[in-house]
Amino acid sequence: MIEFIDIVKKFNVGTPDETTLFDGFNLKIEKGEFVSVVGSNGSGKTTMLNLLCGSLPIDSGKILLDGQNITKLSEFARAKYIGRVFQDPQKGSAAKLTILENMALADNKNKRYLLTPAINKKRVDYYKTLLEECNMGLENRLDVQVGSLSGGQRQALALVIANMSDIDILILDEHTAALDPKSSERIMELTDMFIREKKATALMVTHNLRYAVEYGTRLIMMDKGKIVLDRAGKEKQDTEIDDILHQFNQISIECGN
Amino acid sequence: MSSVFACMDVFLRDGLMYSILALGFYISFSILDFADLSVEGTVLLGGVSYSLLVCKGVNPWLAILVAFILGSLAGCVTGLLHVKLKIRPLLCGILVSTALISVNLVLAVVGNGGSFNGEGALSTISFSRSDPTVLRTFPASLIPDKVGSFNFRELITFLVVALIFKLILDWYLKTKNGLLLRATGCNEQYVSMLARNPGRSKITGLAISNGYAAVAGALIATSRANANQGMGIGMIVIGLASVIIGLSLFGKLRFLKPTTMVILGSIVYQACLAIATYLGVPSAYNKIIMAVLFTIALVFSNSIKKGESKA
Repeated sequence: MIEFIDIVKKFNVGTPDETTLFDGFNLKIEKGEFVSVVGSNGSGKTTMLNLLCGSLPIDSGKILLDGQNITKLSEFARAKYIGRVFQDPQKGSAAKLTILENMALADNKNKRYLLTPAINKKRVDYYKTLLEECNMGLENRLDVQVGSLSGGQRQALALVIANMSDIDILILDEHTAALDPKSSERIMELTDMFIREKKATALMVTHNLRYAVEYGTRLIMMDKGKIVLDRAGKEKQDTEIDDILHQFNQISIECGN
Repeated sequence: MSSVFACMDVFLRDGLMYSILALGFYISFSILDFADLSVEGTVLLGGVSYSLLVCKGVNPWLAILVAFILGSLAGCVTGLLHVKLKIRPLLCGILVSTALISVNLVLAVVGNGGSFNGEGALSTISFSRSDPTVLRTFPASLIPDKVGSFNFRELITFLVVALIFKLILDWYLKTKNGLLLRATGCNEQYVSMLARNPGRSKITGLAISNGYAAVAGALIATSRANANQGMGIGMIVIGLASVIIGLSLFGKLRFLKPTTMVILGSIVYQACLAIATYLGVPSAYNKIIMAVLFTIALVFSNSIKKGESKA
């Protein structure tokens, strides 16, 4: 369970541009929920993820993970419990390393990185089966440098890598935004599959209202650091794009987007 | 003809000697993408500490190990300045190499029997004929000193030392820790997401690279039979140019390891310098030739990169 309690987050503190994004923000996400978050630019969606992952410090308030206060933990300390896929496919793997090397590194997550051989040949078949699920032909290209893969392939790899260890939370930060329509469909299907398999709590930020409606068990719309719409369970299942489109347009017009 | 051989003798020796420095730069510059200027100080630190110990009769191989450790410590300082105090790489290097000027001076003066306030003794440490350098002790002492006009023993010893350090690096880069270092260089965010502190990886890399630089300093001191305070000057250009020449000239040869390319690059670079000397260019022009060669290497590697991105 993830809890945001009375979060305050300001930007450009001490300058004339000082803005308060979150002023007493509260959100509770139950274990196993798959939450889609929509909202216009600047509504605080990505900032919320950054606060949860520890990429940005909070000004006050606290964040609890299964009751444990993680507010003070560094980004890499929180990463033990969190898998994250970014909008930029390049962020999810190391470009100069091969697919095999990237997967071997991820396979060792939460263990120690000592002076032992990085690649365990016995694990290669396991890596291949993971990649086969993506259906992108990656399983036959283990020795290819990741930098030479296409955006869709790299994002699929990033998704596999993020799910390789036992994570409690999967963070998806507009992870289909940089892909072509076909690749992004495929990545969404994979995402849904992984979340069902792992039974992880997932938090997905997206600009695609259709994905937000189609996937997930809960839908949140944010505006100026506040939650303006929150539907879960049956209410979420019955939600159609048109229901939220009107409200979304309203927000966007106010922001001038 | 004999002068051609003499020329070869010089560039092979220098190329192998500086290749360890170049391997260090391969870690900091190529893998970590960190422009590390502290090397100018650590090369000298290695040279001075090695010379000091050898003059006191310490086993030279042990002295090389000590040089490596001291260099690594200096590299840790560079890394800590960058990671903990968030100082930019260039400035970290300048800070550490500046501080090392004093350290090296004090070490050298004290080594020559002077006092801590830096008076009363020379700042250059010279070997006498009897000092047991790497070349004059077991096992190098078993190799014949000269074959024809070649300084055979020196060449073979430096070759072996260079190969040992290359193989250690090859092995390290294949371990979990080494792979993490390579990942840190291309994507720190990724390392964070693996629940590892990328800062720690960076410090490790800088420690190893400066350790290598210090070992190169020890070999340079062996070859010149002294360690003087001007030794560090130009080391950054030599190291970087060797790495860039090696990786751009031999980059297409997939069967070569990058570490091998770097060693070959170092030899090619020293060959160019030796040829200039052979053709009668006065040694005063050495540094300008170094700079020009470095520029050519940079332009060359840029044009290769462009070709790759087009393909």
